[in-house]
Amino acid sequence: MKMGMVIDLEKCIGCRSCMVACKQHNAQPPGTWWNRVFTPGSHHHLTPPARGVEFFLPVHCQHCENAPCEKVCPVGATYHAPDGAVLIDFERCIGCRYCMAACPYGVRQFNWESPEKAHQRAQYQENYHYGYPADHRKEGRLVYTPLRPKGVVEKCTFCAQYRDKGEPPACVQGCPGKARIVGDLDDPNSEVRRLIRERNAFQLLPEKGTKPTVYYLPPKPKEI
Amino acid sequence: MFRRRQGRLRGGGVDSNNQGGIMKLDRRVFLKGAVGGGCALALGLRFFHFADDATGYAEQVEQLIRSTCSPNCTGACGYRARVTNGRISTLIQAADYPEESYNPRGCLRGLSMMDLIYGKDRLKYPLIRTGPRGSGQFRRASWDEALDYAAGKLKAIAGKYGPEAIAATIQVPGTGYVQKGAMVALAGLAHWTMHHGYDQNGDLPMFWPMTFGVQSEELESLEWLNARYTMIFGSNVMQTRLPDAHHMIEAKRRGRMVVVDPDFCSTAAKADEWVPIKADTDAALALGMAKVIIDRQLYDAEFLRDFTDFPILVRKDSGKRLLAGEVAALAGAAQGRAIPEYRRLFVIHNGNGLQILDPERLNPTHADLEGEYQVTLTSGQVVAVETVMTALKRTLADYTLDKVAAITGAAPEQIERIAVEAATNTPLHIIYGASNYQWYNGDLKGRAISLLPVLTGSIGKSGAGISTYAGQYRIRFNLKSWWFPEGSRLNWVPYLHFLQGTGPRYPEHGIKAMVGGWGNPFDQHNMSNRLKERATSGELEFILTTDFQMSTTCQWSDVVLPAPSWYEKHDLTATILHPYLQLQQPAIKPLFECKSELWIFRELAKRLVPEHVGHFFPELDENAAALKVIELLLATGGAETAGITLEMLQKGPVRLHSPAPNDRQVPFYEQVAHRQPFPPPSYPAPLAATAQFLSSGRIEFYKDEDLFLVEGEQLPVHKETFAETEYKVNPQSRDKYRLRYVTKNSLYRVHSTHSNNTILLELQDNQPKVFLNPAEAQARGIKDGDLVQIYNDRGKTRAHAILDPGCSQGTAIFEEGWWGRYLADESYNSLTYPWIKPLHEIYFVPGMWSPTTAWNECLVDVRRISA
Amino acid sequence: MSAKMKISLWLSGILFLVAMAAWLYQLREGLVLTNLQNSYSWGLYISGLAFFVGNAAGGLVLSSSIYLFGAKKLKPLAKLGALTAFANVTAAMLIVLPDIGQPVRLYNMLLHPNFTSPLVWDVIVLNLYAVASAVYLYILMLPDLTGPLSRFAVKVQNPAEFSEKWAKRIAPVALLFAIGIHVVTAWIFSTQGARDWWHSPAMAPDFVAVAIGVGTAVVLLAGAIAYGTGEKFQEAYRTLALIIFVTTGIHLFLMMNDLVIHAWYGNAETHRIMEIAWGDFAWAHIFEVVAPLTGAWLLLQDGVRRSLPRLAGSAGLLIAGVFVHRFLIMPAAYNNLPMTMVPLGLPDSHWSLPVASGRFFPGMGTFVEHYAYAPSFIEVVILLGIMAYAVFLVLLAIAKLPILAREAS
Repeated sequence: MKMGMVIDLEKCIGCRSCMVACKQHNAQPPGTWWNRVFTPGSHHHLTPPARGVEFFLPVHCQHCENAPCEKVCPVGATYHAPDGAVLIDFERCIGCRYCMAACPYGVRQFNWESPEKAHQRAQYQENYHYGYPADHRKEGRLVYTPLRPKGVVEKCTFCAQYRDKGEPPACVQGCPGKARIVGDLDDPNSEVRRLIRERNAFQLLPEKGTKPTVYYLPPKPKEI
Repeated sequence: MFRRRQGRLRGGGVDSNNQGGIMKLDRRVFLKGAVGGGCALALGLRFFHFADDATGYAEQVEQLIRSTCSPNCTGACGYRARVTNGRISTLIQAADYPEESYNPRGCLRGLSMMDLIYGKDRLKYPLIRTGPRGSGQFRRASWDEALDYAAGKLKAIAGKYGPEAIAATIQVPGTGYVQKGAMVALAGLAHWTMHHGYDQNGDLPMFWPMTFGVQSEELESLEWLNARYTMIFGSNVMQTRLPDAHHMIEAKRRGRMVVVDPDFCSTAAKADEWVPIKADTDAALALGMAKVIIDRQLYDAEFLRDFTDFPILVRKDSGKRLLAGEVAALAGAAQGRAIPEYRRLFVIHNGNGLQILDPERLNPTHADLEGEYQVTLTSGQVVAVETVMTALKRTLADYTLDKVAAITGAAPEQIERIAVEAATNTPLHIIYGASNYQWYNGDLKGRAISLLPVLTGSIGKSGAGISTYAGQYRIRFNLKSWWFPEGSRLNWVPYLHFLQGTGPRYPEHGIKAMVGGWGNPFDQHNMSNRLKERATSGELEFILTTDFQMSTTCQWSDVVLPAPSWYEKHDLTATILHPYLQLQQPAIKPLFECKSELWIFRELAKRLVPEHVGHFFPELDENAAALKVIELLLATGGAETAGITLEMLQKGPVRLHSPAPNDRQVPFYEQVAHRQPFPPPSYPAPLAATAQFLSSGRIEFYKDEDLFLVEGEQLPVHKETFAETEYKVNPQSRDKYRLRYVTKNSLYRVHSTHSNNTILLELQDNQPKVFLNPAEAQARGIKDGDLVQIYNDRGKTRAHAILDPGCSQGTAIFEEGWWGRYLADESYNSLTYPWIKPLHEIYFVPGMWSPTTAWNECLVDVRRISA
Repeated sequence: MSAKMKISLWLSGILFLVAMAAWLYQLREGLVLTNLQNSYSWGLYISGLAFFVGNAAGGLVLSSSIYLFGAKKLKPLAKLGALTAFANVTAAMLIVLPDIGQPVRLYNMLLHPNFTSPLVWDVIVLNLYAVASAVYLYILMLPDLTGPLSRFAVKVQNPAEFSEKWAKRIAPVALLFAIGIHVVTAWIFSTQGARDWWHSPAMAPDFVAVAIGVGTAVVLLAGAIAYGTGEKFQEAYRTLALIIFVTTGIHLFLMMNDLVIHAWYGNAETHRIMEIAWGDFAWAHIFEVVAPLTGAWLLLQDGVRRSLPRLAGSAGLLIAGVFVHRFLIMPAAYNNLPMTMVPLGLPDSHWSLPVASGRFFPGMGTFVEHYAYAPSFIEVVILLGIMAYAVFLVLLAIAKLPILAREAS
C-alpha cells in the first residue's frame, strides 16, 4: 500500500476550495496554509501571466519517497507512515526548522507563536477556533492536534485523521472540480496508476530526486 | 480505497453511517483523557512536553448536521457541519445528491462560513442607533424594546404617509422560502411597498420576457454535458459557478466550448476557443452568425414554423403584426374564436393561403417561413405584408461578415466558422452572462443571441437552449399560501424608480422607511451614495435591518435585529443549477440572542397587523413554526412539489418535479415536446401577466408594441455602446472617461457576503483590486500594486491596480462586494447610474418586466493616488 | 585583576544575562519575536552558528602548528587557542538554542537521534570538539595548576612532560574533530538540494578555509590583547598572519570559484540567486570580499602587527567580513523560494510559488514571494549576548586560570 494523489490540472479551476477545506479541517491558524493554489507565472492568482495562458497549480506536501525533510530531521519527528504518507510527530518535533530548509516545495509551516494568538488577533467570538476537534494518533504518535504547540513545524498529512476512518483527505472531499484523486500507487490497476499512465502524469521538480507521490495531469492543450 | 460518504442524513441530522464512528471517537477520546492523566503522572516526561498544550476534549459531544449553504450565489450547496460542544468545528460538502455528478457541491466560501458565523462582525443583540446615521454607534436593547421601538416608528410613518411609504426588498427568494416569506407576508398584510431584488440587482435579463415570455430559464448544470456546442457570452462560470464548473469541463469532452468575452477570464482560459470581441458588440456577432446560418440554410425550418413567430405576417405599412380580425377573409372566423384575453390571433400563409395562427396550440401549420403578400383588410384596404423571417432577413442584410468583423473586432472567417459549427453541432447551449446583459441594450443582445439556439432548433431539448444564471429569482413552485395570504397587498416599485424618486407606482410621499434583510444596499446597490444621502438628510425616516453580521447597511440602520445564519434555523431552498429542494437545518442554536426572521417578522406582525398574526403560526416556537411552513409550502406548491414531504427532505435533497423526463431541468420541454403554447408560467405571477408578452403563444422575435417600433427594435439589432446613456448625458465623456467599468464577482465573495472573511481576505492580500490592461496602466503611470482611484463625474472609489494582460484595452474591472470600510467608505456604486430604458416600462410585472439596473453602462477613468 | 578586566567581565557578563532574559522572553512568546517567517526560516541565529564554529578553529591551528608542524614559537599562544576554541564552539552550540522552537525537547536528540541528519552529526562533532578543546586546554595548563589550583591537577610524576606528551597525542584527534566541525557544519547546508545557493561541493572546503583564517585571527587578536605587540611575539604573529592571509585567499578563491560556476552555466535558478546575491545584497557581498582580504593583507604588514589598535582593527575587519559572509548564507537561499518552476506555455519565465508567512496580523498580506529579512532587536541582543558569553569566558579564564605564558606576563 502506497498512498498517492493525482491532481488533474485540466479540471483544476483554481478556486482554492481545497486550500480552505485544508485550512479549516486541519485547524491552521490565520497566516498558515498547508495547501497553496496559484497561477504559475503570475504575481496574482487568477490573473493570466500572458494573454491566452492560464493554468493553476495546487501544491501541498508531496509526500516524497525520498523525503529530504525526513532525512534532515534530527529527532525522527518527521517520518513515513506505513501507507507512505510523510507525517510529523507533534510531540517530538523540536522546532529546528531544518526540514523547512530541506523541502524543495516550501510546504512546511512553523508555529512562530501559539496558534491561539493568531486566532485571537482575528477576533473570533469567544475564543472560537475552527478545525477537526480531536487529537489523532498513528502508531501512538500525535500526528494531528487542533491547537498545535508553539514552536513545532506542521504540514499536510493527507488528512491522517480522516484517512484512518476511511475518508479521503479534506482537499479531495472539498474539491468541487473533482480534480483530486487518491489511491494506492502499489496497485497497478488503481485509478491513480491508470491516470498516471494514460495521461502523461508529471511530478514537481523531478530533478530534485525526491520521488513525490503526488502526480499532476497536464492541462489539455488548446486547439488553435 | 476510500469510500465516498454514502450516508444520508436522518431527521436529527446525525449521519447514521458515521454514528458508530462518532461514538467510538467519544470513547477513545474519553479513554485518552482518563488514561492519559495517569500516564502524565507516571511519565514525568509526557507531562513535561505537553505542559503547554493541554487540551480538554474528553467530554466533547459531536454531531453531524446537514444544512444548505444559501448565500446569493444561489448555488444552494449541501453542507455537513461537525458540531462539537455546540459549536461548528468543521464544514464539508454533504455530497449527498442522488446523482453522483453533483457531488461534492460547495466551494471555498461555504467551506469558510464559520469565519462569518463566529467572526468579529457577528451580531449578538438587538441594537438601537445612538449616534448619527452611519456612525455605527448603537446601544444594546432587549428584543421587546427593539421591536416595540421599530413597530412604533413604522406605525407612525404609515399613519403619516400611508403604508406604501414603507419599502421592503425581497432578495433571492430561492435561498430561503420560509424566512424570507415571513417578511413578504408581513409587508403584504401591512400594505407596504416592495422592491424586487431581481431588477434591483440588474440580474433580470429583459430578453427573456420579450422573447420567451418568462422571467428567466436555465438548464440544470448536469444538462450541460448533453450539449454538443456550448457558447458562453459574458459569463465567468469557472469562477462564479464553482460547484458546477466541472460539468463544463466534462462537457468539453463531448462537445466544443466557445467563450465570447472581451477579456481573457478564467472561463475563457478553459475554453476550446476564446473569441475576444469589443465590449457590448455581442448583438452584432450573434446577428452576423444568424445571417450565416440563414444564408446557408442551416436552420431548423420545422422548429421555426411551429414554435416561433417567424411565419407570422407583419404589415409593412404600420410595422404591426397582421391581426386575423383585420383581414377581410379571416375576420369572420376570428370573431368566433374564444381565446384568452392575453392572446391575439395572428395570420400566417401556407399552401392554402392565409390562415389564422392558433395561439393555444402549436400544431404543425406548414406555414411559409418567407414571403411577401398583399392582403385585403376588412376596410377594403389592401396592404403589403411579409413574414417575420423575411423582415428578419432584411434586417440581417446589414450584418455581413465584414461589417460584423469591423464592429466586433473578430475575424470574419472565425465568425463564419463558429456559426457553421454551432448550427451543425446541435444541441447548442448558450450561457448568457450578466456581465453581458447588464447594459442599457442588454435586452437587444439577449434577443440577438437567442436567435442562435432558436434557429438551430435547440430549445426545449436536453442539452439545448439559452440559460441565464445570474441572480435567478425564478421561484420554483407556488408559494402563495405562505407569501401572499388573504388580505395581502403589495405596492411593487422598481428600485430604479425609488432611486430616481419618480415612477408610476412611486408613493405619493416617497419612500420614508426601509425594511430589509438578506442584503446590503448601502454597499451593494446602484447609487449607494444616494441612499446614504437620503439617510443622512432624514428623507429616509427609519431604516430597519435584519442580518447576522454588522454589514455596512446595518451600520446605517436605526434598528438592527440579529438573525441566525443558515446553520442556525430551518428553511427551504430551491434555486438554479440543480433542481433540488433542500432544507436549512439548525446545526447549532442561534448564537447569542439571535432570532430567526420568521420570529422577528411575526413579532412585528403582532405589533403592526395583530389581526393577521394567525398566519405566522403564533402558537408554535420559531423552529416548529418554520417546519410547519415548510409542510404548508410542500403541500400547496403545485405539480413541482407534489408528493414531496418534510420527512423526505430531512433525509436529503429531493428533486423537484418537472415536465421533462427524469424531472430534468430543461426549459420549454413541455412546449416543444407536447406542443403547448409559450410561455410556461413564472411564479408567482399569474399566467395572464406573463403570457401577454407572447400574445402569439410562440417564441417571439418580432415585437410590435409602439415603442419597439419607435426605437427601431422590433427585431434585434446592434446599437452603439453608451450612445443613449453616457455619451448622451455628457458628450465629453467620450474623451474624458475612456474606460468601461466592469464590477465583476470575486472568487472570494458572494457579492458583499464574505467581504470580511479573514480566511478569504488572506487569499487576496486584504486588497480590493482593479484589473487594467498593462498598456492602459502604463499610459496612466500606474504600476502593478499601486493604489488607484477610479472616478467619474458621479463618484469615486479606490483599489490596487493589477496589470492584467488578459484584460482588454479600455476596460477597468473592479471586483465588487467590498464593504465600505475596506474602501475608505468610497463605494464603487457611487460611479454607476440608474439608467432606465423606456422599453422596460411598457409592461410592469415585478421582477419580470421591469426597469433593471444596467451596471456596466458606466464610464470611468483611473488615476494613481499619490502616496 | 585589573580594573579594565573587571569592567570587561561585568559588561560581558551582564550582556550575556540580558541575552538569556531575552531568550526566556522569546521562549514564552515564540519565535514570532524574530523577523523570521516561513519562507525565510533561518536567520541570524544559524548564521551565528556558522560564525562561531569558524571562530573556534583557532585551537586547531595552534595545536597542529605546534605539535604536528613544529612551530614552537607559537607555543605561548597554544592555551589561548584552545580557550578561544572552547569558548566559540560552546557559543556555537548556545546560539542554536534560541533558534529551536521547543528546546525542552532536545532530549529527543539523545532518545531518538536520526543519523541521516547532518544536524545530528554536527551536534556530535561540536560536542566532541568542545570536549577535546577543554581536555587539551587542561593538559596544557596542567604544569601550571599550582597553588590553590593544584587541587584540580591530576597527580602525575612530571606534569610538564605529561602535558607535552599528551598534548602531542591529543593534537591529531582534536585536528580531526576541528576539521569535522567545519565540514559537518557546511554539510548542514550543502547537502540541501532544495537550496541551490547552498548545494555546492565547494562549501565544506570553503568552511575549513575561512575557519582557519578567522579562527587564527581570533587567536591573534586575543594574543595581541593579552600579550601586547612586543617584539617577542612578532614572529609568532607573523606566522599567524601568514596563515590568515593564505587561508583567506583560499576562501576567496573557493567562493569565487563557486560563483563563477553558478553564474557561467546561467540556468534560471542561478540567475535568481545572482539577482538576490548581487541585487539586494550587493554591498554586503562586496564587504564580505573586501573586508577579509584587506584585513588579512594589513595583518601581513609589520607596521600593523606592531600596533595593537591597528592589529585589532585589521583583525576586527577580517572577522566582521567573515561575519557578513556568514550572514549571507541565508538571503540567496531563502529568497529564492523553493518550488520554482518554468510555467507551462511560458518557457522564458521563471516563477516561484508564494509561501504563507505563518505570521498573522490583520490587514497584512499572508503570502510571500520575496522577503527582505533583517534581524529583529531580540535576535541582535541574543547574538550579542552569546558573543559576550565567549568574551566573558575567555576573560574569566585568563583572570582565573593559568592561560597566559608566565614569561610573557
